[in-house]
Amino acid sequence: MIDAALQRFIAGAAALGLHYDFLLSGGEVRSWLAGMAMTLLLVVLAIPLSLLAGTAFAAALTSGRPWLAGPVRAYVELTRNTPTLVQLMFAFFALNMLLSRALGGAAHNPFSPVFWVVAVTGLHVAAFHAEALRGGIEAVPAPLVEAAQATGFSGLEILRYVTLPLALRTALPALVNNLVNLVKLTTIGSAVAVNEVTYASIMIWTQRDNVLELMIVILLFFGLINLTVSRIGRAVERRLAVPGYGVGYGV
Amino acid sequence: MAENPANRPILVDLQDVHLSFGAVEVLKGIDLTVAKGDAVSIIGPSGSGKSTILRCINGLAQPQAGRITVAGIRVDALRSEAERIALRKRIGVVFQQYNLFPHLTVLENITLAPVRILKVPRAEAERHARDLLARVRLADKVSAYPSALSGGQQQRVAIARALAMRPELVLFDEVTSALDPEMVGEVLAVIRELVREGLTSILVTHEMRFAEEISDTIAFTENGRIVAQAPPAELFYRSDNPRIRQFIGGFQGFRDAVQDREGI
Repeated sequence: MIDAALQRFIAGAAALGLHYDFLLSGGEVRSWLAGMAMTLLLVVLAIPLSLLAGTAFAAALTSGRPWLAGPVRAYVELTRNTPTLVQLMFAFFALNMLLSRALGGAAHNPFSPVFWVVAVTGLHVAAFHAEALRGGIEAVPAPLVEAAQATGFSGLEILRYVTLPLALRTALPALVNNLVNLVKLTTIGSAVAVNEVTYASIMIWTQRDNVLELMIVILLFFGLINLTVSRIGRAVERRLAVPGYGVGYGV
Repeated sequence: MAENPANRPILVDLQDVHLSFGAVEVLKGIDLTVAKGDAVSIIGPSGSGKSTILRCINGLAQPQAGRITVAGIRVDALRSEAERIALRKRIGVVFQQYNLFPHLTVLENITLAPVRILKVPRAEAERHARDLLARVRLADKVSAYPSALSGGQQQRVAIARALAMRPELVLFDEVTSALDPEMVGEVLAVIRELVREGLTSILVTHEMRFAEEISDTIAFTENGRIVAQAPPAELFYRSDNPRIRQFIGGFQGFRDAVQDREGI
């Protein structure tokens, strides 16, 4: 059944001048599907990392404590203003090598290329989350924060129960934008030979000269992931919508 | 201190409190005493330091000199956030702009602090919140969001939120100044009832009639000083201070004019 459908698809595509016959070769298809699975894994790990780290960075930036805000500010500026690809190269080739050396050889180094891709892309996007959330936190009216103080909430409690929930509501569209970028950013994994979907595709097209055919699939694949991310973002927006505050109300 | 006929314990005591914001001297030696169960109103022209006095009492503003004692705590000596939090748990504040948390329902607004700060079990906090909402006559607004309420309703929720912490003292900071005239009455009615039940309170207000009616003592502030502190009848009708007579007379004249126009 599936084989027949695949045959029909390959024949139909061939009629349009697109050559998908690699789909019949077991090995290439397996490594290609593994690439898609790897991309999904990177996305699923890096998104929560970016959100957690972004929240922590935003908390540090708005803490009013220079020893906490200063280093995070420096990190945010550094990561926002340098290419992510260079950051990944630096992390993987410099940091990772130093770690290996310190641990007595690469065999003892528990950090894989996948770890570095997740860490670099996740923490890179966290810097953008932090700026969006900081804007939202600082937009909470001062009298509201003072009311929470007067009630007896600590600084951290005010962040958790008042300013962050309100900031999340104003920052949500920006956060979803950042996540869409994060999904696309995982392709830099190919630079350190992580077998995500673009790397797997490159491996195939260097053998078969079917760049266009694979590009079409890559574009559709990322389009689909990001459509899902945006949809989830909109659903969260609607769920958190508060009459008269932030976004998502009345849509 | 002298004016404490019932011999009730002193809850709030300010002695010679000075506070400046930069070069601007806001409080120039404030003395104020509030006995337990008393309602004290602070009246006086705008910018005379009324709200700043309240902010000193709960540690939101730090005076440069003077002593502030609230329920035995030397507020002016508090240095850490933890100490200030311990104080603020015992003092309720109701603000001019209500300041309800916009992302929480009425019930959540009232239960947030008891549940998170006092660690009251949620069911118990909700029961208490519903009782308080009934008292401020908003029992049907439990699951409404603040933006769906009128100003008067929001302010009554804010009063219930302050009472949910079972405070020993409630500070009312111009709580009717942002309200439409027709909503002022419903808020004042709630405060009147609380004061009659013996709630210790300090009110900064421009509602002269109301202050006269409910206060045990009225303090008149001008230019960073309390120039007179006396029972209402004395301060409103027997003061020989021309500035006080002029201030109160201004309100009186205004009211008479309004009443004339409305044909009351």
